[in-house]
Amino acid sequence: KRFYSLKVAPKVATSATAAKVKLSPESQDLEITKLPNGLVIASLENFSPTSRIGVFIKTGSRYETTSNLGTAHLLRLASNLTTKGASSFRITRGIEAVGGSLSVHATREKMAYSVECLRDYVDTVMEYLLNVTTAPEFRSWEVADLQPKLKVDKAIAFQNPQVGVLENLHAAAYKNALANPLYCPDYRVGKITSEQLHHFVQNNFTSSRMALVGIGIKHSTLKQVAEQFLNIRSGAGAPGAKAVYRGGEIRKQTGDSLVHAAIVTEGAVVGSTEANAFSVLQYVLGAGPLVKRGSNVTSKLTQAVAKATSQPFDVSAFNVNYSDSGLFGIYTISQAPNTGEVIKAALNQVKAVAQGGVTDADVTTAKNQLKANYLMSVETSKGLLNEIGSESLVSGTHTSPSVAAQKIDSVATADVVNAAKKFVSGKKSMAATGDLGNTPFLDEL
Amino acid sequence: AGGGRMIDRLRKWYYNAAGFNKLGLMRDDTLHEDDDVKEAVKRLPEHLYNERVFRIKRALDLSLKHQILPKDQWVKYEEDHHYLEPYLKEVIRERHEREAWNKK
Repeated sequence: KRFYSLKVAPKVATSATAAKVKLSPESQDLEITKLPNGLVIASLENFSPTSRIGVFIKTGSRYETTSNLGTAHLLRLASNLTTKGASSFRITRGIEAVGGSLSVHATREKMAYSVECLRDYVDTVMEYLLNVTTAPEFRSWEVADLQPKLKVDKAIAFQNPQVGVLENLHAAAYKNALANPLYCPDYRVGKITSEQLHHFVQNNFTSSRMALVGIGIKHSTLKQVAEQFLNIRSGAGAPGAKAVYRGGEIRKQTGDSLVHAAIVTEGAVVGSTEANAFSVLQYVLGAGPLVKRGSNVTSKLTQAVAKATSQPFDVSAFNVNYSDSGLFGIYTISQAPNTGEVIKAALNQVKAVAQGGVTDADVTTAKNQLKANYLMSVETSKGLLNEIGSESLVSGTHTSPSVAAQKIDSVATADVVNAAKKFVSGKKSMAATGDLGNTPFLDEL
Repeated sequence: AGGGRMIDRLRKWYYNAAGFNKLGLMRDDTLHEDDDVKEAVKRLPEHLYNERVFRIKRALDLSLKHQILPKDQWVKYEEDHHYLEPYLKEVIRERHEREAWNKK
């Protein structure tokens, strides 16, 4: 994808002695403003031929209560429903007509509505985006027609066993908030009403919990739009409950010959220094293959488990950070008969790291892998938008990639060892799916 | 002002002459069910839909017995709510929008 467009960029007089070649000589730095009502606006004008604009909202499945589970999931699917300014038909056709796209991406604590289009049509798609995020109507017949989609969406997602394991993991690890499933529970399909959707939007889509981010658009344009249109709901909305970690285990016997298991403890909060230590530890232990079909030489976990079994397996470190908690641990996929050996070998490897069994060279390799992964993820405009939006929601600021890389470099080997110690001594949670005859319980590990 | 009152009186006379109020029906119950009306009826909230079905059922029953309701139960011109009208208008507006888009 071309990140820079000659057509739009201002002309630069070429000098006879070009000192340094800059890719985009006039591309501006990221500008970020916080309005008095709490809304954060961030934009990066990179003169790209396409623009990508996103509305990020601090809401998600964690803000549901037991009486309205699944509302966030349905809301995810309801982005093309009729709004006050445009009918559902018009939104779909209008966006298609300019060759744009509207998508919703949601995690447990963040929802992101983003549109992407050619720079000339930004006004059109922006209108639809604002309509969808600020003035949805949730007409009862449209909502009723949408409910079967929940089942389809869930079926597609659960084809991947990891999704089920992670849902169970969160349900086992937390008492509330983060324990809520990302996907609507079966008993709630068909029962979510238009009032519940309205209620959810009223209480959560407030200005102080939103961020408007744009790439390939001027800051002044975004600011104007935000001040005019994103001012409807002020206040902080309904506060979410603080996530309480409890440490439990959920086992799902399915008879599958491959067992997926995840064992975690409470990890670090997003943005903290501890989070960086855990990230580095994740890469020290092994965070997924870097060479397709390779032998994963740098992954300590893979090497350790390979000594314990000759059957096919996969193991990686699992790390996730939320705004007030986190999870860190290992994720194993193994054949049903020798799951016990695989899990025990993986845990022993983490214990070894906690006792100091990690060299500075290992840590440097891990840091490089982490940095590379991060920098590559913000190379695409989608990844960059996501990154800017998430950070704006959490702190209202932006960390440039070089500063982020520095922070990673500042993690010492001792920090990594401490993070591993935290895992070894912390209260564990576990989720496992498959033929669990040979899968140990938490108290057996 | 006088002209307006004339038209109202004419309307009321025509409503009573049409006679469906003697079967306990409202005007929107008697609309011919083309596609737009069908879609609008689908969108009725539950209580309005149930009332509509009841009225139509009662009218069919009376018609088969060749009877009409006693005079005190006839629907009065002032009480005849055009309940389907907002939904029908919206359905027709959406259809026009679709046709306009498809013509382009």
